[in-house]
Amino acid sequence: MIAGFLTCEANMLKRRYKLVQKVPKTPKSAYNHGRFISSLIEHQIKHFHEVEKSLAKPGEPVTDISKIKTELEASKYLQKMTARLHPQGGEKPKRIAKPTKARAATKRKPKAKKKQGKQKRK
Amino acid sequence: MQIVARDDETFRRVGHYLLRTRQVLKRVGGDMSAGLDKLKHIVVLMMENRSFDHMLGALKKTDPRINGLTGNETNPDTNGNPVKVQPNAKFQGQLDHDPDHHFPGVDLQIFGTTDQGPGRVANMQGFIKSYATQNTSIEQSRGIMAYFAPEKLPVLTRLATEYATFNGWFSSIPGPTICNRAFAHYGTSFGNVDMNLFYVQDPIVSIYERMIQGGHTAKIYYYDQQSSTMEIVNLLKNQPQIFGSYSQFIADCEGDTLPEYCFIEPGYNDHPGPGGGQILASDQHPDHNVQEGERFIANTYNAIRTKQELWETTAMLIVYDEHGGTYDHVVPPNCDPNFPDGHSAPGDKTGTGAAFNFDRLGVRVPAILISPYIPRGTVIPGTEDPNGVIYEHSCIPGTVTNFFLKNYDNRTAREKNSKNFLMPLTDTLRPDDDCWVFDL
Repeated sequence: MIAGFLTCEANMLKRRYKLVQKVPKTPKSAYNHGRFISSLIEHQIKHFHEVEKSLAKPGEPVTDISKIKTELEASKYLQKMTARLHPQGGEKPKRIAKPTKARAATKRKPKAKKKQGKQKRK
Repeated sequence: MQIVARDDETFRRVGHYLLRTRQVLKRVGGDMSAGLDKLKHIVVLMMENRSFDHMLGALKKTDPRINGLTGNETNPDTNGNPVKVQPNAKFQGQLDHDPDHHFPGVDLQIFGTTDQGPGRVANMQGFIKSYATQNTSIEQSRGIMAYFAPEKLPVLTRLATEYATFNGWFSSIPGPTICNRAFAHYGTSFGNVDMNLFYVQDPIVSIYERMIQGGHTAKIYYYDQQSSTMEIVNLLKNQPQIFGSYSQFIADCEGDTLPEYCFIEPGYNDHPGPGGGQILASDQHPDHNVQEGERFIANTYNAIRTKQELWETTAMLIVYDEHGGTYDHVVPPNCDPNFPDGHSAPGDKTGTGAAFNFDRLGVRVPAILISPYIPRGTVIPGTEDPNGVIYEHSCIPGTVTNFFLKNYDNRTAREKNSKNFLMPLTDTLRPDDDCWVFDL
C-alpha cells in the first residue's frame, strides 16, 4: 500500500485541520501480483530490455523477457534494471515522513500552548 | 455564449463563471497574480488511462459549468442499439479486458468508423465498437460507457470542486501512453504515435534538463524500483541524477528540499512490499484498482498541503496521460496549424493506413490544478465556450519553461504556443481553515 505518510497521524490531522475528509481503504482483495501484464507494462519491459542490451558487454547474456508474464515477474525485472541504472532509488530517504520521536516532541509544544496557537492563526 | 439563468443559484453560478472567465482570460494575456508571484514549486502528477467523463463527467449535475454528462449520451453497440452512459463504473473488474487505446482504436472511437475516406466527421460514436474488438462480450463492451458517481471518487471529486477543473484538457495524441507522456516531458513525441521507445532529436531536451541547465532544480519521482519510470528509460540511463523515488518525494516535502519542478509517476504494478507487505498499483490503469489511485493522489496532495510554507508556494497539477479507451463526449479539437509540432507519422506507423500530421488532439482527460490561491469551484472553460482555452500535455513543459526560464527557444512551435495552466492562480490566499486535508 501507499507509504503510510498520514495514516498514523489521523488524530493529529483532525486536531490541526478544520476540513478533513476520510478516504476509504482499498480492499486487500484488489492485490494480484499474478495478474498478466498489460500492453503498457509489456512495453515498459521492452524499453528496459533495449537499455539492458545496450549495456551488455560482448557475449554477456541478457534477460529473456519473453518469459515475463505477470506483474510480479515484471516488477522483479524492473527492480533489477532500475537498481542498476539508479541505485540511489533503493535507498531509504534521509527523512521519513512519519512522526519520529524528535518530531513528536516538537509537535507536543504547540499542543501545550493550544490557545496561543489558535489565536496566532486567527 | 448564451446562458439563461433559471433561478438565483444558477444566476450566482453564471455570474461567478463569467467573472472567473474574465480573470482567466486576463491572465492568458500575461498578467501576474500574487499567487504566481509567490509560486516556487510546480508539481505534476500524471495518472493513467481514464477520460474526463469517466472520472468527472457526473459533476455536471451539481455544477452545470462542468462540461460533463447529461446522462443522455449514447454510443451504438455492435448490434446498432444505442447504449446510454451509466453511473455504474467499478473500481476494478469492469475493464479487465484492457480497452484499446492504440492509434487505430482511438481513431475508431472518435470517428465511429474505420473508414479513412474524406468527409468523415468526428462524432465520438465508436467507443463500444472499439471495446468489442478486445474479446469482450456484447454486455462487457457496453461497460465502456460507465462513469463514476462523484461519491465513489471522494478524492478526485473533492479536489475538482475545491480547486480548478479544466473542461478542455486533451491528451496530445489520439493514441497510447508512451507518445502522450513524451509530450509532458519534451513537448513533442518526435513523430511517435505508438508505444515504442522514442529517441530524442536535437535540439530538444527534456524539461528537467532545461531546468537544470538554466540553474534551476527539477526531478522525476518514480514510485519505487519495482515500478520504475515508464516512458523515459533513456533519460534514466543517461541522466539518473534527475530521478528520485516517491519516498524521496515525501522526504523532500518534509525536508523543504522539493525541487522547483517535479513530475510524479504512480505505481504501475502490484508487487510485494518491504517486510512482506503488498504494494498495489496506484496508476488507475485498467484493471488496477481506482481506489488505490485515489489514495495515492490524496497522499501526494497531503504531503504538500500539510507543510504550510510549501502549500502556499506550490501549484500541483493532477492530469491523466490519455483516456485509455473510456468514453468521453467531447470531440477533440484540431491543433492550431500556425504552430505545428513539426512531425508526421506515416500510415504504416499509425496503423490506420493514413498519415497523421499531429494536427488533432486526443481524447479529453481529467485535469485539476491545486493551489490555495485558486478560488473554490473554479472551472476553466474548454471547447463548449467560444472563449474557452484548450490545453494538452505540451502545456506542461511549456508552462514550466515560461515560468522558470522565461525565454527559451529550443522547442516546438506547438509547445511555445501552448497555454499557461497556472492562470487560475489569483491574488487571494485562501485561509488555512478553508482547504481540506485527507485522512488516509
